[in-house]
Amino acid sequence: MVEITTRGADLVVRDTPKRGGVLPRLAAWLAQERVFRLIPFILVEGMFILVIFIPFLLTVYISLLRWRANRPFETASFTGLDNYYSVIGNDQFWLAVGRSFYFGGVAVALELLIGFVLAMLVSQTTRFKRLYTTVFLVPMMIVPVVVGYNFSMIYVDSGPLNQLLAPLFSLFGMDPRVRWLSHPVAAQWGIILADVWQWTSLTFLIFLSGFSALPPQLVNAARVMGASPWQIFWRVQFPLLKPAIVIAVVIRSMEALKLFDPVVLLTFGGPGTSTQTVAYFLWEQVWVFNKFSFGAAASILLLLIFGVLIYAGIYLLVRQRAIVEGRGA
Amino acid sequence: MAATLAMSPDAARRRKLRRQRRNAAIRHAILLAWTAVIVFPIFWMVSTSFKEAGEWVTWPPHWLPHEPTLHNYAQIFAFGPMDASLSRQATEQAFSIWKALADAALVCTMASLLALLLGTFLAYAISRFNVGGKYFRHLVLTIRMIPPIVVAIAILMYYAILIPYATSALFGVRVSLFDTYAGLILIYTATTLPFVIWMMLSFIEEVPYTLEHAARMMGAGRFTVLRRIVLPLVASGMVVTFLFVFILNWSEFLLALTLTHPEVTTLTVLLNKFQSASEGRLYGPQAAIGTVITVPVVILGILIQKHLVKGFSFGMIRK
Repeated sequence: MVEITTRGADLVVRDTPKRGGVLPRLAAWLAQERVFRLIPFILVEGMFILVIFIPFLLTVYISLLRWRANRPFETASFTGLDNYYSVIGNDQFWLAVGRSFYFGGVAVALELLIGFVLAMLVSQTTRFKRLYTTVFLVPMMIVPVVVGYNFSMIYVDSGPLNQLLAPLFSLFGMDPRVRWLSHPVAAQWGIILADVWQWTSLTFLIFLSGFSALPPQLVNAARVMGASPWQIFWRVQFPLLKPAIVIAVVIRSMEALKLFDPVVLLTFGGPGTSTQTVAYFLWEQVWVFNKFSFGAAASILLLLIFGVLIYAGIYLLVRQRAIVEGRGA
Repeated sequence: MAATLAMSPDAARRRKLRRQRRNAAIRHAILLAWTAVIVFPIFWMVSTSFKEAGEWVTWPPHWLPHEPTLHNYAQIFAFGPMDASLSRQATEQAFSIWKALADAALVCTMASLLALLLGTFLAYAISRFNVGGKYFRHLVLTIRMIPPIVVAIAILMYYAILIPYATSALFGVRVSLFDTYAGLILIYTATTLPFVIWMMLSFIEEVPYTLEHAARMMGAGRFTVLRRIVLPLVASGMVVTFLFVFILNWSEFLLALTLTHPEVTTLTVLLNKFQSASEGRLYGPQAAIGTVITVPVVILGILIQKHLVKGFSFGMIRK
């Protein structure tokens, strides 16, 4: 046995007397490469099997039963694919899936646009750069539930938003105390705006690191050769930022489709069902209506829909990562 | 172009300077506008947390509390049964924050530590031995991309049905993980492990393999190498990863809402509890709770700001 310590980049080696006994021998056995490399792998895989894979199989099994949680589990009977048929035939489910995609699409588009512009402007400024960066990153760190609560305060009929808009309303002779969250379309936009407020900071962060990784020689060379700022942007900077854009799109889209917290905090899916995202719809089916089998079948279907997206997303990420690393960034 | 050439070089320079100054002004105007958008909701919450019940919702709304008060904080930080004089709803709803704060701190710390421990060693094994093959790290990523509601439904049935059945059949004791600390810690660990693995991979891959080789050549065992060389070098990375995962767990809402009731309560669930009251909503105490939840995470977040991009983009982008 030797004792080894680091001192800076140097190694200091000291001999220590050899010990015998059970523990050192166990340690020696564990330290063999064929054992050692597999310990963490087996632990983590075991955990994933225990916590993700078995529950998933259980979900498949329960989705084949006719069962509601308010009756004992023993009374459940096997019904085959009936639950799947009732999910596929359920308009509310598909509307909720569509709404998730609609909210996600609009929110992610706005986040990408605003985040890109902000990152570009911040990367061009010289003064207060760190201050802007710090402030713009704050929303990402705030608990989503708190964001939902904050916006519910702002949208309230006698809230600050209506006060700011009051001059505009008085122009048309309307009462400024609008109940935003009671109107279907306004409630949808209320949720989208809350999401944009919070997650533009993430796209901003990704684009900012993209901009700071751009080699300035290329831009300077283009400028010397007489390129206009417009050309520099579209022909030089934009192509180099493509990996960052793809990564931002994939990561934000995956997250946006899971939208749940602001829906609960702001509207409870209402008015009517106009803001029910698929996550909220499933939550209501299982936790409010106790339709466990239905929920299980719907979540398996949802997983299949998402599986395609996850696969496509990861494929894109792997490819972009290869490009990023090939560039030596 | 022609006009520029016709002018004297001095005038051209002055014009260019003026244009640059105008561009800078526009830039700062846009950036300041977005700063206002960011600050406004946070300002409103903090301001509300210092308002008396009468000022929570008024028309026109008060931007700053006219009579600043600490009542809301006194309410949420009160011990034991409420003092009826504090507020009219105080006696109806017990909304002391202590239980939720302790629960959240316990669950988040345990889950983050467990995930950090497992994830760091797996990241080491992936980095050095290529465990699990070339695409294992992407397989890990898919787990993070599964919608949490799907996980929640599966876990609910697992905790509430399969585990009680299995344990009563095998050991004769009904054990349910539903609404327990262990259950929540387990699922938080599993869902944050992908983040830990990806972040720690990017830190471990920065440690030169030659250092380890040198130590091995001099006769050090694998555990010695790990403890004396690798761990000290990635310690700061582990701290960053821990804080990042802690923030994620601290903010988590869906799983906490669905897998616990009524015993274990995290802060996010507590905040939501007041939201559902249709009338007499407790805006003030809610704002106080929101402020209390937000402040520590934002401070932690600013501390690890440099590394956030690593976490949120799964190490896809290096800074």
